[in-house]
Amino acid sequence: MRDLPALNIADIEKSFGAQCALDGVGFQVPQRGVFGLLGPNGAGKTTLLRMLNGITAPDRGSISFFGEPISREHLKSIGYLPEERGLYKSMRVGEQAMYFAQLRGMNKTDARSKLRHWFERLEVDGWWNKEVSEVSKGMAQKIQFILSVLHEPRLLILDEPLSGFDPINAQRVRDVIADLKAQGNTTILLSTHDMGSVEEMCDEVALLNHGKLVLHGAVPELREAARDGRVEVTFRDTVMEFTVALGASAELIRIEEEATVTGERRALLRLRDGTDQAEWLHWISGQVKLTSCALWQPGMREIFIQAVEHQGTDES
Amino acid sequence: MNRLRLIIFREWYTRVRRRAFILGTLLVPILMAILVGFGVWMERAQMEENKVLVADLSGLISYWDEAREAWVPACPDCFPERSHLEYRFAEEALSDDDFLASDYTLMVLFDDGILQHQTAKYFYDKSPALSTESAVENDLSSAIERFKVKEELALNYEAYKRLKTNVRLVGEDVVTKDGNATGRTLIGFIFSFFMFIQIMVYGMHVMRGVIEEKANRIVEVVISVVKPIELMAGKIIGIGLVGVTQVLALTLLGYIVFQVGGISLEASGLLTAASNEGLELDFETWIASNDSLGFLLDVNWPLMIFASLIYFVAGFFMYASLFAAIGSAVDQESDAQYLMIPAMLPLLASYIVAAMALENPEGQVAVIGSYIPLTAPILMLIRLPLGVEWWELTGSIIGVVVTAYVLVRLSARIFRTGILMHGKKVTFRELGRWLRHD
Repeated sequence: MRDLPALNIADIEKSFGAQCALDGVGFQVPQRGVFGLLGPNGAGKTTLLRMLNGITAPDRGSISFFGEPISREHLKSIGYLPEERGLYKSMRVGEQAMYFAQLRGMNKTDARSKLRHWFERLEVDGWWNKEVSEVSKGMAQKIQFILSVLHEPRLLILDEPLSGFDPINAQRVRDVIADLKAQGNTTILLSTHDMGSVEEMCDEVALLNHGKLVLHGAVPELREAARDGRVEVTFRDTVMEFTVALGASAELIRIEEEATVTGERRALLRLRDGTDQAEWLHWISGQVKLTSCALWQPGMREIFIQAVEHQGTDES
Repeated sequence: MNRLRLIIFREWYTRVRRRAFILGTLLVPILMAILVGFGVWMERAQMEENKVLVADLSGLISYWDEAREAWVPACPDCFPERSHLEYRFAEEALSDDDFLASDYTLMVLFDDGILQHQTAKYFYDKSPALSTESAVENDLSSAIERFKVKEELALNYEAYKRLKTNVRLVGEDVVTKDGNATGRTLIGFIFSFFMFIQIMVYGMHVMRGVIEEKANRIVEVVISVVKPIELMAGKIIGIGLVGVTQVLALTLLGYIVFQVGGISLEASGLLTAASNEGLELDFETWIASNDSLGFLLDVNWPLMIFASLIYFVAGFFMYASLFAAIGSAVDQESDAQYLMIPAMLPLLASYIVAAMALENPEGQVAVIGSYIPLTAPILMLIRLPLGVEWWELTGSIIGVVVTAYVLVRLSARIFRTGILMHGKKVTFRELGRWLRHD
């Protein structure tokens, strides 16, 4: 039997005055794994995340948490790292961590031992007695991340978790997310604009735009479905030689001016309607020094832009 | 409940441990003690040094005593022996150089026309203290008065003193049978003033705390764990307790300073010196024998303290919730100014009325103000020491408590919306929308 979804978001509507923030949004977040919540600024992501945290309520629709209508009782099982985050400057790091752990319902002993573990893992253990005002931004980010995972939530909501980190610390946090995913006890809802992270970490995504759900599905399937006959080739000629040789046989979408150290350049093409790919490949190989040719698979960045622009065209 | 307790403790603890709070709380009574002690010391230091030469050219208040071979006062009682003031008499004034070379600190010139112009010029090397000047003035006046009574009216001075009458007014409330309304009004005003300061200062603390939490962007994490009303209530109670802690600490320190100061004053002999009769007094007897402090015994202290506590709790909730709502609606303190005006008006108005009520505590404005919930916490306290009807006090307290409850509920509506708003200039119309928004 299939697991209940971690979240079942059904037909959610929310308006602030005349402004509609969410308009009939509905999708499911499966248990375990990493689910990406994507969308441009002002799409309604933060409003939806606030609903999951009980900060605000929908005007219409419902949200189920592991099969139960979501309520404040479930907040103990949710970890939340908001995009807008901070710490109390007038407190020491350790006492602040203890304060939030206890607010989450943990007892002192449990909180202290788990904090020690996480502080060691993310290398902030020497900062326990420091004032928050003395702590660097990256260090504060790590502490905030720890506070969201400390109570071992069933659902972990991360809003731009990697922003503000240097590459080393960003990788540390990625590793933690990967471990949590591998352990299988936590469902991670990741809201981010970093499409590289989405491709790397997310199993499924939902894309919101202007308060509407415009795309939803598994990442590999979305990428596969977004193929549109474009072809990516690499070659060892100059840009001029390649362009002249290509002639009118294909539409040149993008070409790299700078060659790699091996003297290769990359180009993205769309073949004319009715062109036989095998015949074209045979023909072009005779015209230029082709080193590779493959059907192009769009990344999440292209899928994101295409979906948002497509909705914009539809609405206008 | 446990989370509310955690928030209250955090708000309280992070403030009371601040160096500024500890220093402020400790320093106030210590500074006061130092100031009082310094004043007493200064007074004493200045008094000890005064040696006055009265150059009695008129011959009205002194004569040559053959036996003692010196000019002595005609009325020795008029110039009592004091540790800080010593008189010598002469028939001629010293030249400036002789005066400077002498050990006199003051020289008073009593010329022939003293009875006409009633003015005596005095000379000094260092300007005398006001108290010294006043003591010399009194002594010389009394000597002249004695001369006039004896020489001009040919009266016995003792008989004259018996004739001289000063009428002192002593009031009594026909209902409560209590007297000295002025002293008790003063007590009421002190309580009112303190209430005003506490509500104002700690109300502003609440507003700043909310703005800081909002600016730090920590609020979203907090309200994903606790309800906004819990956060607001925790903040108000926690910061209110900081105020209570300060009052308790000041009371305790004040008591210690009072006791230690009393013992020091007794040991220093200043109280004996301050006594007119030169009696040896202990501190408590000195206070008890002081006419101007006797009214303290007429005040119903348990009722005053009980009522103050209730009015502080309800009044603080009333105003602090408004300040919290204002803090939640703005991004920085400077934006809060115009929203503060309507919230501050009743508080400021009640303080002004309280100051006016010192003159007439039973005046209509003070009485009506003590019934209005927003002004009652301050204005009822000024009336209370004079005695109010039980129904007035009960009705006023119920009004304040109900208003506090309503304002907390309304402010919570603004708070929960405002606390998540950033970068928006909020108007009163917008606040009204937040109030209606469920």
